[in-house]
Amino acid sequence: MPADTRTHGGALLGSEVRVLFRRWRTWAMLAALATIPILMAVVVRLSSEPPGPGEGPPFLDQVTNNGMFVAVTALVVTTPLFLPLTIAVVSGDTIAGEAGLGTLRYLLVAPAGRLRLLVVKYVSACVFCVAASGTVLLVGWGIGSALFGTGEATLLSGDTIGVGDAVVRSLLVGAHVTICMLGLAAVGLFISTLTDAGVGAMAAVAVLTIVAQVLGQLEQLAWLHPWLFTHHWLSFADLLRAPIVWTSFTENVLLQAAYVAFFGALAYGRFSTKDVLS
Amino acid sequence: MARTLTRWLPAAAVPLVIVGSVALASAAGADDLPERTPEDILTLLADRDHQPYSGEFEQTSDLGLPSLPGGVDLPAGAGDAAAVTAALEALTSDHNGRVFVGEEDQARLQVFDSFGERDLIVNGPEVWAYDSGENAATHVTLPDEATSRTAPDQQLTPDAVADRIVEAAGPTTELSVREDVEVAGRAAYDLVLTPRTDATLVGEVAIAVDGETGQPLQVTVTAQGESTPAFQIGYTSLDLSAPDADLFAFTPPAGAEVEEVAPPTAPQGVDTADHPKPTVLGTGWESVAVIDASATDLTSQPLLAQLTTAVDGGRLLGTELVNVLITDDGRVLVGAVPLERLQAAAAE
Repeated sequence: MPADTRTHGGALLGSEVRVLFRRWRTWAMLAALATIPILMAVVVRLSSEPPGPGEGPPFLDQVTNNGMFVAVTALVVTTPLFLPLTIAVVSGDTIAGEAGLGTLRYLLVAPAGRLRLLVVKYVSACVFCVAASGTVLLVGWGIGSALFGTGEATLLSGDTIGVGDAVVRSLLVGAHVTICMLGLAAVGLFISTLTDAGVGAMAAVAVLTIVAQVLGQLEQLAWLHPWLFTHHWLSFADLLRAPIVWTSFTENVLLQAAYVAFFGALAYGRFSTKDVLS
Repeated sequence: MARTLTRWLPAAAVPLVIVGSVALASAAGADDLPERTPEDILTLLADRDHQPYSGEFEQTSDLGLPSLPGGVDLPAGAGDAAAVTAALEALTSDHNGRVFVGEEDQARLQVFDSFGERDLIVNGPEVWAYDSGENAATHVTLPDEATSRTAPDQQLTPDAVADRIVEAAGPTTELSVREDVEVAGRAAYDLVLTPRTDATLVGEVAIAVDGETGQPLQVTVTAQGESTPAFQIGYTSLDLSAPDADLFAFTPPAGAEVEEVAPPTAPQGVDTADHPKPTVLGTGWESVAVIDASATDLTSQPLLAQLTTAVDGGRLLGTELVNVLITDDGRVLVGAVPLERLQAAAAE
């Protein structure tokens, strides 16, 4: 690849990410995500008695010992719905949004090539995935350690870990959740190439995440479960055992990579053969 | 047109690559093991040396019972009824977890729940049980003489299940060896135990025995006339190096409810005062255990009432592998036998 086209791709990505973070919508979604750990921490702080074991969302009883567990609890709560909703909005909008606004053909007039535009759009959606789960994680750490301080935390296996280990473990949980969202973003990118209506694509992606999770609950479809992109969404509990169980983490990486490859290829097939009229 | 098709090629190629690599990964055949007779494999199984290891295991049950909602608080009540519910849950639902075995008197068993874990840690005379859902720990210090064979043997691990089945199978069992299998990435003999009688619900029991170490890697129980296993427990991965010694040194977390339990006085740890000892009728695969439970009114438990059906002489909890008859006079008969055999035993 000649040097000038590479810099062109880089510049395109840079401008894409700048546009993404210049939108009010992006900041509103990140703010909404940030309220969840804040809400949880404040409620636990204000309640007269700390939550007992097994009460409320997982790990909530850990919060009073080590405030950083607010981040983990917030990720447990946001992963099934709130987080994927924001990813659905951003990824569903990637191509369909430009088409809807009539800006897609201008993007393609520049000698960018459709494949490069697709890659740049996907990478910027991935940047948002990192920002979204990073927001929950960092705000959770911040508010948790401010209200409860940091201290020792208990793993599911009953072993006690120190502050440094707790940071590493919650970072791993954040990484797992982010990787889960990358597959969803690829699905969103493909759906976004199918339509010119951004809202329709967003809704379709959001509905898919719900449908996949409902299918994951049906015992009769057990054979299908390992292939659902939502299969490992909540299996980050395995990262909080002693020693860490890596099986579900690595399985999830492979699964999401397969989703990215397949839906990326589908998006390429669709987008490169599509008549761009708007 | 041709150009359009080439653009869709990647989308067609990716699934092929994925399916291909999945098929390749699962088709990796077992290494050739030297031929052995079933008796040789039994010896290999019985004479295995102590081997430190860590492994992940998986248990699946398909007993033809409705699986109980895991993690949901059932109207279990206290004491015996809770124990019955717990036993039912263990039988009907699927589990996975890990086993660590260090020195001869060190072991740790972890049973995973979706956001919880139950641990059992044995380190010499110190035995800890921890339940993360309750954040509660139980501690027992065993007297010296009892430390040799302790709790992990009574737990559900592939090792323990296989040892117990082989112990129970006597001359009423026909032994054979099938083609070698691969379990947890290790080549294993597939030892098949077939009951020599039709008066049992068990069709066959297959035990995968590690060709190198003699360790049981997987136990599969198939009911008579069925093709899919009714119960299976086996390792999904196995590491034969000694696990970290720190794993066996358990300190209950701060804030956990710790209960100190006096060591059992009887060598087997069965509290004979509260629990009536079962009487066993018959031998081998046809044996029936009879427990006198007239003290507790089992049939009034809503859960049991729901799972059982009314039959002659009581209520039946019927599964593919095991039948449980709760007679009207409060006896409980359990056996891997048809209902008629239970009814006959109840009449004796």
